[in-house]
Amino acid sequence: MAAQLQFNDVTFGYDRHPAVHHLSGEVARGALLAVVGPNGAGKSTLFRGMVGILKPLSGAISLDGLDTRDIAYLPQIAEIDRSFPITVFDFVGSGLWRSTGLFGGIGEAQRKRIDKALAAVGLTGFENRTIGTLSGGQLQRLLFARLVLQDARLIVLDEPFNAIDERTSADLLALVKHWHAESRTVIAALHDIELVRAHFPQTLLLAREPVAWGATAQVLSAENLQSARRMCEAFDDSAAACVIDPPSRAA
Amino acid sequence: MRRLCLILVVFALAAQPSRAEDRLDVVASFSILADLVKNVGGDRINVVSLVGPNGDVHVYTPAPSDAKTNAEAKILFINGLGLEGWLPRLVQSAGSKAMIATASDGVAPLQLGSAADPHAWQSVPNVRIYVANIRDALSSADPADEAVYRANADRYLKELDALDAEVRAAIAKIPSDRRKVITTHNAFGYFAAAYGIAFLAPVGVSTETEPSARDIAVLIRQIKLEKIPAVFLENLSDERLIRRIAAETGAKVGGTLYSDSLTDEKGPAPTYIDLMRHNIKALTSALGN
Amino acid sequence: MSLYAALVAPFTDFEFMRRALAAVIALSLGGAPIGVFLMLRRMSLVGDAMAHAILPGAAIAFLLYGLNLLAMIFGGLIAGFLVAILAGVVARSTGLKEDASLATFYLASLALGVSIVSIKGTNIDLLHVLFGNILAMDDQTLLAIAVNATITLVVLAVIFRPLVIESVDPLFLRTVSRAGTPAHLAFLALVVINLVSGFQALGTLLAVGLMILPAGIARFWAREITGMICIAVASAMLSGYAGLVLSFQTRIPSGPAIILVAAVLYLASLLFGSVGGVLRQLFPGRHLEA
Repeated sequence: MAAQLQFNDVTFGYDRHPAVHHLSGEVARGALLAVVGPNGAGKSTLFRGMVGILKPLSGAISLDGLDTRDIAYLPQIAEIDRSFPITVFDFVGSGLWRSTGLFGGIGEAQRKRIDKALAAVGLTGFENRTIGTLSGGQLQRLLFARLVLQDARLIVLDEPFNAIDERTSADLLALVKHWHAESRTVIAALHDIELVRAHFPQTLLLAREPVAWGATAQVLSAENLQSARRMCEAFDDSAAACVIDPPSRAA
Repeated sequence: MRRLCLILVVFALAAQPSRAEDRLDVVASFSILADLVKNVGGDRINVVSLVGPNGDVHVYTPAPSDAKTNAEAKILFINGLGLEGWLPRLVQSAGSKAMIATASDGVAPLQLGSAADPHAWQSVPNVRIYVANIRDALSSADPADEAVYRANADRYLKELDALDAEVRAAIAKIPSDRRKVITTHNAFGYFAAAYGIAFLAPVGVSTETEPSARDIAVLIRQIKLEKIPAVFLENLSDERLIRRIAAETGAKVGGTLYSDSLTDEKGPAPTYIDLMRHNIKALTSALGN
Repeated sequence: MSLYAALVAPFTDFEFMRRALAAVIALSLGGAPIGVFLMLRRMSLVGDAMAHAILPGAAIAFLLYGLNLLAMIFGGLIAGFLVAILAGVVARSTGLKEDASLATFYLASLALGVSIVSIKGTNIDLLHVLFGNILAMDDQTLLAIAVNATITLVVLAVIFRPLVIESVDPLFLRTVSRAGTPAHLAFLALVVINLVSGFQALGTLLAVGLMILPAGIARFWAREITGMICIAVASAMLSGYAGLVLSFQTRIPSGPAIILVAAVLYLASLLFGSVGGVLRQLFPGRHLEA
């Protein structure tokens, strides 16, 4: 299968300290990949690098001709100004940016798409509410609706089910499976190991360096999980400059 | 004999520099006053003006160098009548032992609103009093040169008399029903009282107050009613307001009148006498025909 | 006095009143929408900062050309742009937030301006010369305000969408578009233009006041940004008209009169506004079925 994403020995970090160290590998087109690892493992950093917000310290990511602006990204902590006076309809509508641009009108066709997206996440009837009146779970649904409108080939979700109720999680997970069925490539960072085992065929176990990558059942073995937990969270201020070394050591 | 002359010349030359170093250091608060002081003191004094040409003496903020200048001076000449609101604190902080001479002592003050009108120099007869006060102050600080100061003052007083006559003659040529003007700055009360021209203004004494729409409406009505011929700009405040009033009333914009400060050498009013001459010329040319 | 004499006659009788009204309408059209965005982006104090930031530009123009109003306005614009854009760029590329960034630049700018003026030796209050009065609207100034309002509305229409998205979810806009930074800088440019031309036409109080107060008023009546902008423009015009009438009937200067009316409207909105007004919060009425 063709690769949607290719990591070429890429390292991401802050202030020269690596948060993701020497990652290489491929994500196939249409894959449903979970990225798992302890806190500080570099998952969010990796995602920021994928969508182009963070420049690599070394190495590169190639995207099979895809523009980073055509990736749909859901950050872990949304820096949204909840007090801004904008309706659910208009907020979700911004997901159409890539097709409407600065001046494109929101015509009948676009309106239908917005309505469908809101229906897909269970927010029909919320169109005229301002975003400040939504609960946490409703806001997450809103963000997913925007992802739907972005109609992207690659969707990147950073801990999408944190701190929301079970029913919302279930609904949104169904949406993720639906995307997979539509042959979109979906990469999600997740903490819930059981959820990963149950729904995600591929997993990357990351602990700053890749511990294991492949079919979920093999990757999430007790031994690998043990390895990942041993990873040191803090940056080492006295570390020497990195010489390329075998990627087997996890700590 | 030749040797004696040579010795005398050498002595005379040697004596000159020391005479020059004896110059009295004085300070005047603003440029018009400094000019008067210079005319009375001549080359026996060094005069520094705190507020320079084109400066606004109503809202001046002293700099540290001013405190230094004050400390070194023997006499500080001020206008008085409330003009230099910023001065008492400067004098106090400078710790200067200078004698403070108020040039307007003895001038009969006019009222402007609730306070005294400080612009007494706009009437030449008042400036005669200023000159006398300046001469007396210089003489008491430097009695050795009293004769020089008296001579300079007399000469300058003659010039002032000629100026006064000039002004009165010029105004006499203006038809009596046209002797009224509008200007932005209420600085000409003394001129009006001395020479018989009415000055109307939409704003108060200082350059800070803002007019209300009512004030302007009243003024416009008055100008139209009394057929006031000209409006004048003053060199420090918003000329656009004046032009607007002129446009709406049909009055002529007569040019600039200088009130609170001299201009620099290149301008039309580098000395007091030049300032008055310029003003009267502007007035007569706008009101004359 | 009849209602007509109080409310309409001042404008039919006096041209300076008609011009002042025209100026206030133009200023409302351009300034009020900008003010709404300033308020939503927590930049409400930028007006005061900008009033000081323009000083070195005006000072340099004064040094070179003397008391030439056009030169000083131009210098002020350049200084204002530099400060606003530098502050914006620094805020986006470093960890420093917009307000601190702007504060440092405007203070440095003001100090520079004061120093430049003192070199020349006079104590002339340049800013006072630069700041105008709404009752003194000549043709040139009126035209400048009208042009400024037109430019503002046109540019705002162009950058409206990215500006809104950038205000509510800047990270999202960054990931899907490169229009975020240019839109932001264009907005800053509009702020500077509106402020500088507002200062020289009307003085600081009016220029800033008619931007910020109407935005505050609109906050209490509209839930959504388009409605907010409309209400802001309307309340700015109403304040301008009523303020002029007030200044005509009393001795209150025109600028303060307009701002006082706006403040009263703000207070009324604070108490009685349908969106978050105090009285609404204290006495919400019976709740709905669902």
